[in-house]
Amino acid sequence: MSLIEVVDLHQKYGERDILKNINIRVDRGEAFAVIGPTGAGKTTLLRLIDLLGLPTSGRIYFDGIDVTELRRMKLEVRRRMAFVLQKPVVFNTSVYNNIAYGLKWRGVRESSIRKKVSNILEMVDLLAYRKSNARTLSGGEVQRVAIARAIVNEPEVLLLDEPTANLDPISTSKIEELVANIIHRYDTTIIMATHDMSQGQRLADRIGVLINGEILQTGVPRDVFSSPLNREVAEFVGVENIIDGVIVSSQDKVVTIDIGSGVIEAISDYAVGEEVCACVRPEDIILALSRVSSSARNSFFGEITQVVSLGPLSRIEINCGFRLVALVTKRSAEELNLTRTKKVCATFKATGVHIVRRGR
Amino acid sequence: MTEIWQGFIKAIELIVSLDPEVMEIAGRSLGISMTSCLLASLVCIPLASLIYFHNFPGKRVLINIIQTFFSLPTVCVGLFVFVLFSRAGPLGGTNLLFTPTVMVLGQMILITPILLGLIISALSGVDKAILDTAISLGASGFQVAAVVLREVRYAVLAAIIMGFGRAISEVGIALMVGGNIRGFTRVITTAISLETSKGELELSLALGMILIFLALVVNVTLNRVQQR
Amino acid sequence: MRYKVIGSLVAVIVLTSLVLGVVGCGDSTASPLPPQERLRVATTTSLYDTGLWGYLEPMFEEQYNVELDVMYAGTGKALEYGRRGDVDVITVHSKAREEQFIIEGYGVTRVPFAYNYFLIVGPAADPAGIRGLIPEDAFKKLMEAGSGSFVSRGDDSGTHGKEKAIWTAAGFDYETVRKAEWYIEGGTGMGPTLMMASEKQAYTLTDTGTFLAYKGKIDLVVIVDKGDILLNVYSAIAINPEENPKTKIDLANNLISFLTSPEIQELIGNYGVEEYGMQLFTPCAGAEPQ
Repeated sequence: MSLIEVVDLHQKYGERDILKNINIRVDRGEAFAVIGPTGAGKTTLLRLIDLLGLPTSGRIYFDGIDVTELRRMKLEVRRRMAFVLQKPVVFNTSVYNNIAYGLKWRGVRESSIRKKVSNILEMVDLLAYRKSNARTLSGGEVQRVAIARAIVNEPEVLLLDEPTANLDPISTSKIEELVANIIHRYDTTIIMATHDMSQGQRLADRIGVLINGEILQTGVPRDVFSSPLNREVAEFVGVENIIDGVIVSSQDKVVTIDIGSGVIEAISDYAVGEEVCACVRPEDIILALSRVSSSARNSFFGEITQVVSLGPLSRIEINCGFRLVALVTKRSAEELNLTRTKKVCATFKATGVHIVRRGR
Repeated sequence: MTEIWQGFIKAIELIVSLDPEVMEIAGRSLGISMTSCLLASLVCIPLASLIYFHNFPGKRVLINIIQTFFSLPTVCVGLFVFVLFSRAGPLGGTNLLFTPTVMVLGQMILITPILLGLIISALSGVDKAILDTAISLGASGFQVAAVVLREVRYAVLAAIIMGFGRAISEVGIALMVGGNIRGFTRVITTAISLETSKGELELSLALGMILIFLALVVNVTLNRVQQR
Repeated sequence: MRYKVIGSLVAVIVLTSLVLGVVGCGDSTASPLPPQERLRVATTTSLYDTGLWGYLEPMFEEQYNVELDVMYAGTGKALEYGRRGDVDVITVHSKAREEQFIIEGYGVTRVPFAYNYFLIVGPAADPAGIRGLIPEDAFKKLMEAGSGSFVSRGDDSGTHGKEKAIWTAAGFDYETVRKAEWYIEGGTGMGPTLMMASEKQAYTLTDTGTFLAYKGKIDLVVIVDKGDILLNVYSAIAINPEENPKTKIDLANNLISFLTSPEIQELIGNYGVEEYGMQLFTPCAGAEPQ
């Protein structure tokens, strides 16, 4: 049975739909990431799961119990969860007291509190600050206090809202390490919200893509990244080449897509006449100075409009009548002398094209 | 000008010589106002939290009324308490009129709106995220209120100081329900009013200065606490 | 941090209870156990401002072992306190209203214990030229001349009542007098009224005792001191327990006996003689002076 189950959840503020038709199941011990752009409704969803608000409609089950409108048991259920807010605030008291509050509220014995807080402080590397006022800490340290404050209560579910937003890269990696550590050590069920795709990929077992209040796709990160279900997910997961077209022929799953300035061949089950997008990963595109004879079905000539160096790779933007982005190694870019206005031939395989339906 | 100067000299004389009658009056002023302030705090801190943490129809209106009562005229409170505790009044049987007890009560009524209003506004200044954090960490309603009050403890203390200031400096209630009985209900403000009517302006000025001095001592003490 | 706040709160509580304790001790050391009964008397301001009550209070307290609370009020306010049963006995000076008070059943009997005379005082220059007239004529002239201010108590006190009686005797309707531009209603006790009259260099009606007690502080002289109408009788009235059952009739009667006892009568007669060089109050031990 799932530990958390969200069924047909709707949330409205006035006329505006914040969340529409949300269905999520998270199993015990699983790390689930809700990813989506800012304003997609991630925070609202986490707040509802933590029973900090009432949904307009829909149900939330915790450990099989409908907790949506519980009154008396709300506190009891909430005490089995912990929520780290997006912009964590600390109480105006010592770091130690900040972390001890949850335990005190649960009536834990003083000696036990002392031990647990010390352990956690060591884990988040803040033992030296235990007596400092928490208001004097830096952003990354505050975030660590907030996480420590949450997990010291040994929650069954840890809700993390954008745990690394507004943090510098070093603090970010520290927090990610900490979260990975928690997952590893405590077997806590984690539901985290993040706009950072790669973070979701790094930390979560499964992700759900939340865009405009709707979960558009759920699955293991690899699947979501490689096979987005539709154009919005594809855009969000960072597919750079999304080319609109219509399927004009289909034979043995090999389809031909008319994209206006030419055709693309791909492998797909979609029928003729379907309006689709062809997604091509930049790293799947091969560049050459002239047409190469290969089994690759798709080849386009174009002019380089931009070259950006990304460490060992170069990002090449080409105008082939449509915009195409390719990633090549810096070395091959130098060998081919790829510079602006140079004419090149871009080639990719039919199997390198992922077809998604346009719209919903 | 000489009168003020002589009043000042006399005040210092009275303070330095620990004049027994003046000390007694000052002690009574301090005692009555501190008691009323303390009791009002014990009532108002929970009550303000109750109002702040609950949503009910008319809450906005209630807060507006409380704020209007900041400037409650002391004579109105005095009159109200007098009529209430007069032997012919509904609480006449308690036989409390013209006693320090009823003065404490009157002052409590006077400063309750100030304490309530200022504590509510202090609570309103707390970041909503503090509330959410406390709730999500598993605090019960009472525990949330306690932690949020702790966050604004200095603002609450400031409210109490304000209340004390108003209590010790008022004369209307002390005179009307206390009766200005020598050795029993005479406090600094009523003594000033009496001495002025007797034409003893220097003594009045001296008492006034003692009052200001007392308020200063209390304020400085509480401010020291605040700064720690 | 938390402990400091709690600590300071505790300190405040301790301090408060200490102060209260000290005040409480002050009371209890002055009174042997069991706790004394309290007797409340509301007195007209003139008996208070002259210091007579301050002089008599400790004697009474010692003799009867009772805590005497003296409330400073004009006759009007004292009668109202009496009507509501908030005091046990009143000492006032307004014969007509006292009689009314007793007829209404609020007071037991009216016991006169001292008297003196009202005075019309004013600036030495006497701008209205009323010096030496009888009070009724003096008021008539004041009204006609309109050339001198007059400060009235205006507080429904015994003195104020007397003033109204003089206006009536002089043939005026008090309501028209009030409207006059030179007529000032102070709304305060005798002492402050004298201070005000002195500041404004105006005439006023005062009792002898208060005037003498304030003589050094004010710039006014006696203008009119002769006339039967100026007689000022102070009487004590115990509040009727039938109307207000909680009042302490026995203690009230004790106070009246005390005031009319020969020793105290003598003390009242001598009060202030040394200080002011003349008698403030003439004792009259329960009988109406003629």
